[in-house]
Amino acid sequence: METAVANEDAARNAHNPAPQSGSATPRVTIAVDDTRKVRTLNVKAAVDNLSFYYGQHRALKNLTIPIAERQVTALIGPSGCGKSTFLRCFNRMHDLQPDTRYEGSITLHPDDLNLIGPGVDPIEVRMRIGMVFQKPNPFPKSVFENVAYGLRLRGVRNRAMLAEEVEKALRGSALWDEVKDRLQDSALALSGGQMQRLCIARALATTPEILLFDEPTSALDPIATAKIEELISTLRDQVTVLIVTHNMQQAARVSDYTAFMYLGELIEFDEAAKIFTNPAKKATEDYITGRYG
Amino acid sequence: MPSDPVEGHTAKAFDGALTQLRLHAVGMGGLVIDQVSTAVRALLEADANLAQTVLARESQVNDLERAVDREAFELIALHQPVAGDLRMATAVSRMTVELERAGDESKKIARFAGRMASGEPQGPVRAVARYLQHMADLTTGMLRDAVRSLDESNSDLAERVRARDSELDAEFAAALRQLLTLAMQDQRYLGVTIDTVFALKGLERIGDHAKNIAEQVVFIASGRDMRHKKSVGQASA
Repeated sequence: METAVANEDAARNAHNPAPQSGSATPRVTIAVDDTRKVRTLNVKAAVDNLSFYYGQHRALKNLTIPIAERQVTALIGPSGCGKSTFLRCFNRMHDLQPDTRYEGSITLHPDDLNLIGPGVDPIEVRMRIGMVFQKPNPFPKSVFENVAYGLRLRGVRNRAMLAEEVEKALRGSALWDEVKDRLQDSALALSGGQMQRLCIARALATTPEILLFDEPTSALDPIATAKIEELISTLRDQVTVLIVTHNMQQAARVSDYTAFMYLGELIEFDEAAKIFTNPAKKATEDYITGRYG
Repeated sequence: MPSDPVEGHTAKAFDGALTQLRLHAVGMGGLVIDQVSTAVRALLEADANLAQTVLARESQVNDLERAVDREAFELIALHQPVAGDLRMATAVSRMTVELERAGDESKKIARFAGRMASGEPQGPVRAVARYLQHMADLTTGMLRDAVRSLDESNSDLAERVRARDSELDAEFAAALRQLLTLAMQDQRYLGVTIDTVFALKGLERIGDHAKNIAEQVVFIASGRDMRHKKSVGQASA
């Protein structure tokens, strides 16, 4: 079957660890051919033979993908292909659901922590891996308290330190200038786009290592979408980003690397520029050019 | 799954837009091919009417260049194509430039033919008439196959067009030697000899344009950028 071969090819092409001397973090060389530059990056999370089951249903099938550090990796594919399921593995969201099971590993570097390992506390995982959802979901609290919430959970009580960190997170999410004079107003009074950026600020406040975005702009207008996309592009300076999107142009605009999934399998993984100009697999080409269905 | 790269989209309007774009480029190709063969016939037969036909149709070629390029531009803006569809839109846009330049070369040959018809000495043209005819056959053949390869999405045919360019170059070099010999023997017709060289060079350039179009067809099919690469059989520079 083409997809099985594709999966192996994608893994072989993408996952080519070449450890640097004196460093435990694997490096990855992604997307090399005669016309493109070789890029060797640190791997932030190495997904190795990951399968996931809802009861007897195998929703993810032996995925192997290197998630490059401080890069934006987009996951695309038709509904039901497993991209959201894949994203939710990273912060153990599936643990909240009964009768689910992981196989394989997601190794977070540089400390080699298997995020889905049986002895790993999901709360600890969620402290390190933030998530932003499709629909903005601020708490019914003030703007300030929304961002301070995670810090308070971590035991930060010093008011000056809290204020400083809240400002930093709000600046990081490009929201500070719009809310600095109404930090004590309800977060529910913000516009949809502002709420989404507040949720990003809330996630950033606890300095996550990876930030997961599950269709973060599908409920927003084009201007708010552009602001979130611009934000995602700048976030790569401080955090590794994984984004699920149905919007092909958005994946092309914001991602450095793109993975195309179908029926729970990885069909192709490569630089976004390669995927959107000359994908190697026909299935990828058919999907991104709108030939499915 | 259909093998034609312009078909099979869920949005049938997009199929239609791509098909129209390709159809218009192929139509422009047909007009340019006729411009080339008519211009050379006008020259060889010193026929003022044929020369005038080419010159009168030149504006049609220019109009088509603008129209097809605009169509490709709008297709990109309105449909935001990616992968093979994007390659088709950008490649067709580049092809219109090649076709328009081939049309320009025909126009220059037609102008020369007009001067021949109005009494300029025909010695130099007659001396290389065989070469002119052969080069015209080669260039129109290359153009025809390049345009056909676009129409049929046939990258094998496009590859063969690229390989034929060296034959045209060799023919041009041989014609040039012939004209040099003539110029050294009889310097009275130097002006016409130079014009004849330009006509030969024009045909050689049209062959280059056909090759460039063929390279774009390969690009559409595979994403390979063949520009400035030697084809099989060509010696490296």
